[in-house]
Amino acid sequence: MSWETVIGLEVHAQLSTNTKLFSSASTKFGSEPNTQVDLVDLGLPGVLPVVNKDAFKKAIRFGLAIEANINQESSFDRKNYFYPDLPKGYQITQMTKPIVEGGSIDIDVDGDKKTINITRAHLEEDAGKSIHDAYPDKSVIDLNRAGTPLLEIVSEPEISSAKEAVSYMKALHQLVTFLDVCDGDMSQGSLRCDANVSIRKVGDANLGTRTEIKNINSFRFIEKAINFEIKRQIKVLERGEKVTQETRLYDSGKDETRPMRSKEFANDYRYFPDPDLLPVVISDDEMEEIRSTFPELPADKSKRYISEFQIDESEAEIISSSRELSNFFEVAVESKNDPKLAANLIVGEIGSLLNKDNIKIDESELSSDNFNILLKRISDGTISKKIAKTILAEIWETGRNADEIINDQGLVQIQDETLLEKVITKVIELNTNQVEDYKNGKDKLFGFFVGQVMKETQGKANPQAVNDLLKKMLNS
Amino acid sequence: MSIRFKTLSELKELLEKKEISSFELVSETFKNISSSKTNSFITLNEEIALNKARDFDEGKVSGDLAGIPIAQKDLFCTKNLRTTCGSKILEDFIPPYDATVVDNLSKAGSICVGKTNMDEFAMGSSNETSYYGTVKNPWDLERVPGGSSGGSAAAVSEGIVCAATGTDTGGSIRQPAALCGITGIKPTYGRASRWGMIAFASSLDQAGVFSRNAKDCALLLNHICSHDSKDSTSISDAQENYLENINNNLKGKKIGIVKEFDISSLNREVQDSFEQSKKVFEALGANFVEVSMPNIKLSVPTYYVVAPAECSSNLSRFDGIKYGYRSKNVNNLEELYIKSRSEGFGDEVKRRILIGTYVLSAGFYDAYYKKAQQSRRMIKNDFVKAFNEVDVIMSPSSPSSAFKIGSKTENPIEMYLEDLFTISSNLAGVPAMSLPHGFSEGLPIGLQLIGNYLEESKILNFAHQYQKNSDWHFKSPDLGENS
Amino acid sequence: MDNKTVETISYLARLELEKDKKEKITKDLESIINFVAELQDLNTEDVAPLANPLEKVAPKRVDSVTSKSRKEAFLSNSPESDKDYFMVPKVVE
Repeated sequence: MSWETVIGLEVHAQLSTNTKLFSSASTKFGSEPNTQVDLVDLGLPGVLPVVNKDAFKKAIRFGLAIEANINQESSFDRKNYFYPDLPKGYQITQMTKPIVEGGSIDIDVDGDKKTINITRAHLEEDAGKSIHDAYPDKSVIDLNRAGTPLLEIVSEPEISSAKEAVSYMKALHQLVTFLDVCDGDMSQGSLRCDANVSIRKVGDANLGTRTEIKNINSFRFIEKAINFEIKRQIKVLERGEKVTQETRLYDSGKDETRPMRSKEFANDYRYFPDPDLLPVVISDDEMEEIRSTFPELPADKSKRYISEFQIDESEAEIISSSRELSNFFEVAVESKNDPKLAANLIVGEIGSLLNKDNIKIDESELSSDNFNILLKRISDGTISKKIAKTILAEIWETGRNADEIINDQGLVQIQDETLLEKVITKVIELNTNQVEDYKNGKDKLFGFFVGQVMKETQGKANPQAVNDLLKKMLNS
Repeated sequence: MSIRFKTLSELKELLEKKEISSFELVSETFKNISSSKTNSFITLNEEIALNKARDFDEGKVSGDLAGIPIAQKDLFCTKNLRTTCGSKILEDFIPPYDATVVDNLSKAGSICVGKTNMDEFAMGSSNETSYYGTVKNPWDLERVPGGSSGGSAAAVSEGIVCAATGTDTGGSIRQPAALCGITGIKPTYGRASRWGMIAFASSLDQAGVFSRNAKDCALLLNHICSHDSKDSTSISDAQENYLENINNNLKGKKIGIVKEFDISSLNREVQDSFEQSKKVFEALGANFVEVSMPNIKLSVPTYYVVAPAECSSNLSRFDGIKYGYRSKNVNNLEELYIKSRSEGFGDEVKRRILIGTYVLSAGFYDAYYKKAQQSRRMIKNDFVKAFNEVDVIMSPSSPSSAFKIGSKTENPIEMYLEDLFTISSNLAGVPAMSLPHGFSEGLPIGLQLIGNYLEESKILNFAHQYQKNSDWHFKSPDLGENS
Repeated sequence: MDNKTVETISYLARLELEKDKKEKITKDLESIINFVAELQDLNTEDVAPLANPLEKVAPKRVDSVTSKSRKEAFLSNSPESDKDYFMVPKVVE
């Protein structure tokens, strides 16, 4: 029995706006409970919603990035249901006319490329948080999150495996963080995924019954939850039974999905246009403004870096995938530094330091100005690349100016031929055995001599000059 | 001196000339409230009101309405002053903020003496559905004052206050104004902010005022109307001074009579008063034109789909969790919702929530709600067309005078038809007002004037000219030993 | 308007009708639905639904935090709360 999987993902991205979708309360994460709740968020009698301009800007930016249709006139509807973390007893969402429709995202699964089409992306408000384990017989509600703007991104059911789902999520994650639409912090719940999973026999045109796994908040759990669910559904069908259409939760402790206690026996949300909100219109001027501030996307950046600066493809990909790294790189190049050198250091030495400390480049002690000095000193021969690495390590700890470090520690590269000849002569005199072996054909010993010269000069000798002089003097 | 039945303008003059102090005014107001038999108030604000009166007398307050006691319908949130909306579910609700209308009137220097009684959540046309008891018509205590703003209408009608706020979703200012023999106006939808107005039907609700005449209404309207950025449906068109054109000449102006209102089917006295009023306007130089509004007969069924649908959603926030009534002995979340809401809401509210839930539910949306929204547009188009031909539209405010308490509570439809003449203006969002123009069966009846969008000035102008040439608005009920 | 429908919509609205009132309310609902059914006969071809009488567009708000915490006021006004949260009977998901 050959089964195939059909998966559609609904991803909720919390927009990185300062305030909520319909009120001026802060959306900052991690504050004391119920301190970021406006009169509007509490759903007091008589309060009214006013829509956040930036929420639309961010949603549109996303839509443009996935090449979707932007509905310059969109509207809000009410989705009616009862739950303690939903203060008004309805959620304001966009059912009929969402801001974004269509578009697609490219994914790459172990080298295989695939395009996943997007059905729609719409704005809606988040609910508050219910906490069930604070008391034995009570649940408690924190409404800080209530009203936070969400962009719900719905994919077509074109994803065929857990791996593809993870790849899709990763691509989405990179896109929304790069666009400054969402901070992408999944541990904080900024990006949550609901997976709709169904199974059907290969060749069957009809879709199987699907289950919805709600609120999965890590790439790892997405893969595990979907894989478990696929296996579970296959087992059910192979037993000759039917898959129940239901909502399930992923239990990471047990690595299994289980059905949720149903919230409503009849999920009739009675959608209707919200009478407190008029249609939202984005003018052509506003669209132009959004388009003009649209950032270059990673894929395009990468291509440009390769063609314009001739840097390595792998380096281009790494730098372009991070907004901070690409900014840093571009500033360095604008200051007329050698792009290949800059890229090399960024990906190599600086990359390792960033990983070691688990920070972003703009959180480090290395400023663009200082990096600029370092690059210039390498290019003009003042220091060697090797020495530059030690200087970098020092800057990383202290933030000191590169020139200061070079002067203080006397790290200026030795290029003076007369001096170098003196050193080389000394090295030759001290290692006559090795010199003889070299002259007899042991070419590999050349590196030994280089090393000795470097040792004598505390690494400051200009490697190229050393190479040239050594060759001359050893062969004479 | 008795302040009972004095108009806002008269009281302002008395205060200006220092013939009375605000403290005396406010004190007498509370005396009148306590001896009143109409049950028009739910909550009183005595201590604060007297303090504000003292402030005025000490010269600390200025403004168009400075030192004047007014009443607020208990649907407006008043900061730190209990607001019940006529319901048990908000019996102990103390709002942490003021409605914009309340704030505006306060900034103009007025003094809120208390919150007036009303049909629960503004659902009703007789003020018989209030948890705080039925309001009685000061003209006949066995009859209804109209609703839902019955308390405000009664309070002004029996001369306790010269002005009160109300809200009008289907006629809830105009119909009680008519039944109580006073003047009341509902401006264009969106002209007054809905921030702080407990929502019944969001696309129909509008704040308005009651007073003893059109001129006072104009002054009050100048203050309650404002653009409010906290209300997305608030109109941002330039503010008007509604007193500026109130004395304009009516010569050559056109008044429309809606054919489909079929006034000839109403009782004799109502028809006679209507004819008399026509003569007043004709003497002022206005001409009457028959207009046809073919879809207007669908106003009541349209309203009774749209309003319950919106209210069923607006009232979902009353869940016993964040504020308001919570049932005791609740064992689980389901019971919390069901018991709190079922015990907290009255029957009419429940009926409307159920209707609203039904018409929005899966399978019925197109047949009812969408259809009603389409009908609504057709009614609006009828108004737009009519106002191409006439300046204002005139009709009776209600089919008859006040009916006996309890006489229409058996059949909800009978009660709904009370709003026959008023409902269409809410559906279209146009401004409308009622002024007293006669009696039927010994009780007051009202004349309704409907204007085009943003033409409150015009209807106030017509009403004021009418009142300069008639004396119905000077009549007041005989309160027996209370007058 | 049969019993099952009334039960369904009552549950959706989280309302419970007292036994002795159930019949009357069901009858009332029936007559109201019949009353509004008149709308069905209306020819509404090509008529755009009117959701709000203002034919205007929504104003948009600048994304600045202007709201302050009202935690104490909100919690003290609620039927049941501890010093940090609103409280309800335990919910099992």
